[in-house]
Amino acid sequence: MNRTFAVFLLGMSLLVSCEQEAISSGKATAVGALVPRTVDEDPDLPSIFVNGAWLHAQTFGDPADPMIVFLHGGPGGDYRNALRAAQLADDDYFLVFYDQRGSGLSQRFEEHTYSIQLMLDDLNAVIHHYRTTDEQPIFLFGHSWGAMLAAAYINTYPDRIAGVVFAEAGGFNKQLLDEYGAMSRKLTVLSEATNDIFFYDQFLTGKENEHEILDYKLALQSPYSYAEGNDEGVEGPSPFWRYGAVVLTSFVDIAENKGFDFTTQLHQYTPPALFLYGSNNRAYGRAFAEKEAAFLSNTTLVEIADTGHEMIWFKWPQVYEAVLPYFNSFQ
Amino acid sequence: MKTILFYILLLCSLGAPIVALSQTINWGATTQQRQHLLHLHAGWDYGLNYGLAYAHRLPTPMPIFLNIAVSAPFGSTVPDDFKTKVGGQARLYQLGRLYLGASIFGIYRRFENPLVRLQNFGSEFNIEMGYYHRRWFVAGAFGFDKAIVTHYKHTQTYREFLYAGVQDGWQGPPSGGNFHYGLQTGYSFGRNDLTLSLGRVKREDWQGTPLVPFYAGVGYNVKLGNN
Repeated sequence: MNRTFAVFLLGMSLLVSCEQEAISSGKATAVGALVPRTVDEDPDLPSIFVNGAWLHAQTFGDPADPMIVFLHGGPGGDYRNALRAAQLADDDYFLVFYDQRGSGLSQRFEEHTYSIQLMLDDLNAVIHHYRTTDEQPIFLFGHSWGAMLAAAYINTYPDRIAGVVFAEAGGFNKQLLDEYGAMSRKLTVLSEATNDIFFYDQFLTGKENEHEILDYKLALQSPYSYAEGNDEGVEGPSPFWRYGAVVLTSFVDIAENKGFDFTTQLHQYTPPALFLYGSNNRAYGRAFAEKEAAFLSNTTLVEIADTGHEMIWFKWPQVYEAVLPYFNSFQ
Repeated sequence: MKTILFYILLLCSLGAPIVALSQTINWGATTQQRQHLLHLHAGWDYGLNYGLAYAHRLPTPMPIFLNIAVSAPFGSTVPDDFKTKVGGQARLYQLGRLYLGASIFGIYRRFENPLVRLQNFGSEFNIEMGYYHRRWFVAGAFGFDKAIVTHYKHTQTYREFLYAGVQDGWQGPPSGGNFHYGLQTGYSFGRNDLTLSLGRVKREDWQGTPLVPFYAGVGYNVKLGNN
């Protein structure tokens, strides 16, 4: 027994020493190795410092024009696949894009620091940073989680926003979120796309604050969203810089453990609101858009034909045709 | 994309359904005459897997098996994701029907999706201790799976849609590691064993878990050789 045990220990020590010798040509956790640097790591990226955070941000158009603040999806996504909306600058609007904290190329924070109110405070700070006069109209244009955040904002501050576009919000409250989730999260356990999500967990671990690894792992899941036959009607890959895994995990926990309801004061918001939905998103569709629109008093629903959840990337010309008349109607 | 990731995380935080996997020996039913052991298994091991293993018993007083195993997750693209293991299992200690066993493996595994191909060399060790009867057994198991060094090869899709500056090549230091612990049990009849294993998986820092924090599996052994 002693000899066998000694052989076992020898084998273990060899493997451990192999591990210590395994430093090779690169380091997976090195900044910039697998995912791009964030604004606090790369000073050449466009950024603003507001509400205690460095946020990746860009603007287009005349700062004195009516401001449209784009709110990207996620939580954790970024505005890269919405940059075509910058075309609205040619129509005399001032476009503001920013990656929310912990998302895209914005600064990362620890999981316990996030809250809905903090995201609203950031949005207030972004608006304040760019606003040139108190009379300048402010519009919100939210996609997916960004549309949920837009609802949270006008629910909290119903008199600050001139108009709002909701592009397939994933649920204005926990009940609607669960409902949308039930329709869109159908995992087929024998499928390639499903097993691709889980299998690489043995290659890459990612400890609590290893943002590079955690964000990279999340990025590797993205093909699941456009797998053949997906319920959200996503046609294929769309560009993004970097997902924020920690902020996503944080808001999943918040949704599960604390719940949320962005509808409690929505009836106080009276300006027209525009709802967009893709005709190919089987999990959303007109029926779900009507459920969300029912919380507001003055709404218009527009179907974007032959596309799904990523309509802004895949069918921007049609989205443009819908949103430009909407924004112009306030002039 | 963002929405579906949200729901995947939500699903996993609630506990996804688990199925099966194991590579388990009834130490109480091994004999020197039956030197060959073929093993089939299926279950949940970082995805829904199936696999095949062969073990050869060395002619030593204390049972030692040399093992080779291959497993792969289900999916339409069969050869792109798989795991191979080469190593040994030994029964280290016996007190009546109480046995202490251990195993150690070198691992080569491969993963490919539309964004990247990963190839990894790693290691795994396990210990199991329990009550082994000729007909049945039940044991506790504990182990550690370490991804030591990984080769990255990103696709044009990754470079075009995500990050043009991503680095390919071998990357260290160790990129992953997970502990696992649980129970294994089985029933032996004739040359055959039916086995069941299940347990939890924890990240190497014990602070978190993989997306699905469980493993579970069913296995079938057939022992070949004289008698």
